[in-house]
Amino acid sequence: MATIALQNLVKRFGATEVLHSIDLNVEDGEFIVFVGPSGCGKSTTLRMIAGLESVSGGHILIGDRDVSKLVPRERNISMVFQDYALYPHMSVRKNLGFGLKVAGTPRAEIDRKVGEAAEILGLSPLLERKPRQLSGGQRQRVAMGRAIVRSPDVYLFDEPLSNLDAKLRTQMRAEIKKLHRRVGNTVIYVTHDQVEAMTMADRIVVMRDGNIEQVGKPEALYARPNNTFVATFIGSPPMNLIRGTVGSKDGVPVVAVSDNLVLPVPEDLVDRATQNQSVDLGFRPDICSPVGHELSSDGRKVTLSLTIDHIETLGAETMLTTLVDGKPVLSKMFNPRSVSRNDNLDFVLAVDQCHLFDADTGQTLRDPA
Amino acid sequence: MNEIYRPPLWPFLVIGFVSLIWIIPLFGIVAISLRPESETLQGWWRIDEFTLTFDAWRKVWINYPLWDAFVNSVLIAGLSALGSVLLAPMGGYCYQFLNFPGRRLTFLLLVNAFVIPNQVLIIPLFTLWREVGLIDNIFSVIIPFVALSMAWAVFLVKNYLTDFPRSLIEAAQIDGCGHIRTFFSVVLPNALTPMAAVGILQFMWTWNSLLLPMLFLRENIPLPVLLTKIKGTYEPNWDQVAVATIITTIVPLAVFLYFQKYFAAGASNQSGQKG
Repeated sequence: MATIALQNLVKRFGATEVLHSIDLNVEDGEFIVFVGPSGCGKSTTLRMIAGLESVSGGHILIGDRDVSKLVPRERNISMVFQDYALYPHMSVRKNLGFGLKVAGTPRAEIDRKVGEAAEILGLSPLLERKPRQLSGGQRQRVAMGRAIVRSPDVYLFDEPLSNLDAKLRTQMRAEIKKLHRRVGNTVIYVTHDQVEAMTMADRIVVMRDGNIEQVGKPEALYARPNNTFVATFIGSPPMNLIRGTVGSKDGVPVVAVSDNLVLPVPEDLVDRATQNQSVDLGFRPDICSPVGHELSSDGRKVTLSLTIDHIETLGAETMLTTLVDGKPVLSKMFNPRSVSRNDNLDFVLAVDQCHLFDADTGQTLRDPA
Repeated sequence: MNEIYRPPLWPFLVIGFVSLIWIIPLFGIVAISLRPESETLQGWWRIDEFTLTFDAWRKVWINYPLWDAFVNSVLIAGLSALGSVLLAPMGGYCYQFLNFPGRRLTFLLLVNAFVIPNQVLIIPLFTLWREVGLIDNIFSVIIPFVALSMAWAVFLVKNYLTDFPRSLIEAAQIDGCGHIRTFFSVVLPNALTPMAAVGILQFMWTWNSLLLPMLFLRENIPLPVLLTKIKGTYEPNWDQVAVATIITTIVPLAVFLYFQKYFAAGASNQSGQKG
């Protein structure tokens, strides 16, 4: 078990810098998820921690050891690959024990550890099979088994569930979490799927274009995004953003979206929004619902009359797309009733739970989380 | 059967005709080896007079060192193939998976060695082998055979490894392997197809080669060189030449038939991805 520290970590491929001076501290036993769109540098960071990519600048510390220049085998890590990377010519048993064999572990101990890992992951009946004789989920488990037999300091997962179907993915998510609770080691997990990040992480690291945008607990990222990127990336469906200008109406600070749509500035941001500042007003679909179908919430509320443009029935709730100033805005109807396209409904918006982001920088007007 | 799915006839006719061109001489050789030379000299295709005799099959073993030549051929072709099969994957691995200075340039030079004809090497090699006393030693031909094969063999293996999942190499590194262990434990067991291809091609080419063995070997000659000696100046010895030819041909044929499944095996790797 170990802490991990990334200090001013830089990665360049030729003249192109893909990772710009990253800093991060990971606690011992923590489950950290790196999330971000393709090309954001999350996999590169993971591969640098693994030792599969060289470090162009800065340091990587595992425990108190600087491992930046060490080869993978000297870092005491294990990794689960996206395509599982099981050795096709070896049986499950040999796949699981290969790392131990390379390390010169005595035969009896290899057998014992492989047996234990197989027991934990339910692989005992499959030990003599070759990878090609396994289903996707079984291969995934073998890949995890290969990681745990060596009892490393750190587990690295590189989008391990992206090759599985939706149902199996949900099941494996739970299994990985269970495994983490059982072994308790530090885990770094890379995914582009924000649902995976939200459901599994102790803390999430949101990355974009080689920078860390925000680090925090899933609920904190959801409730207090630091910028519009995190606001729209975390949460499904994403947060609505409407462009407007800060002004005042009857002495009350407001965001004027259009001539006939003026919304009060959230209570805690009254002192922070400056006159004529261009801002993006952000709110999640679940705080903007048709009257009578909303969640109860504190603070002020305003009622808006909006026309439904698109309907998605999900069962327990219905997603409604309405048009505000010509742009689509998502709204969630709880305990849904039947509605039709082009219906005009009154929506209630919990304004004090809205967010304001500076339109130029995209940064929140609240203190960064 | 539906009209659309009926294959056209003409490819069969063309292929059949071309096959005949190759098969008829083979029949001829077998026929020559089984009848007295006097009958053959009137034309091997004549069947008005046919005497079955195994005389030539007996005589050629007595008159010529056919067995020694056979052993030499097996040694030369076998060791050359083994050398190429062992070395080419190492080269392929290095050029595919390692980063080292001069990688592109050396690979280009190596592959371009393919265009060097054997003839160019004869004089320098001959003087070299004479200096080091390797004339009439089978290694005087094995060494250049293996060296010359590297051009195409490394290229062939490297091309195969282009599709080799890099994650397997990385998994091996994570599991604690250095490059040598990765190569022997992970890459080699999954690269049997190109190794078989290199082995078969190299075996057949070296088995059939004439020029270098004829120049560098005196006593330890392989079968193709012996073939040239059976046909004497004053006696054609057609029947014995035919027997030696059959023996020379049969081995590469058997090797090819046995190993051809590796050619068909395809280059797919099953590391665990969904197919």
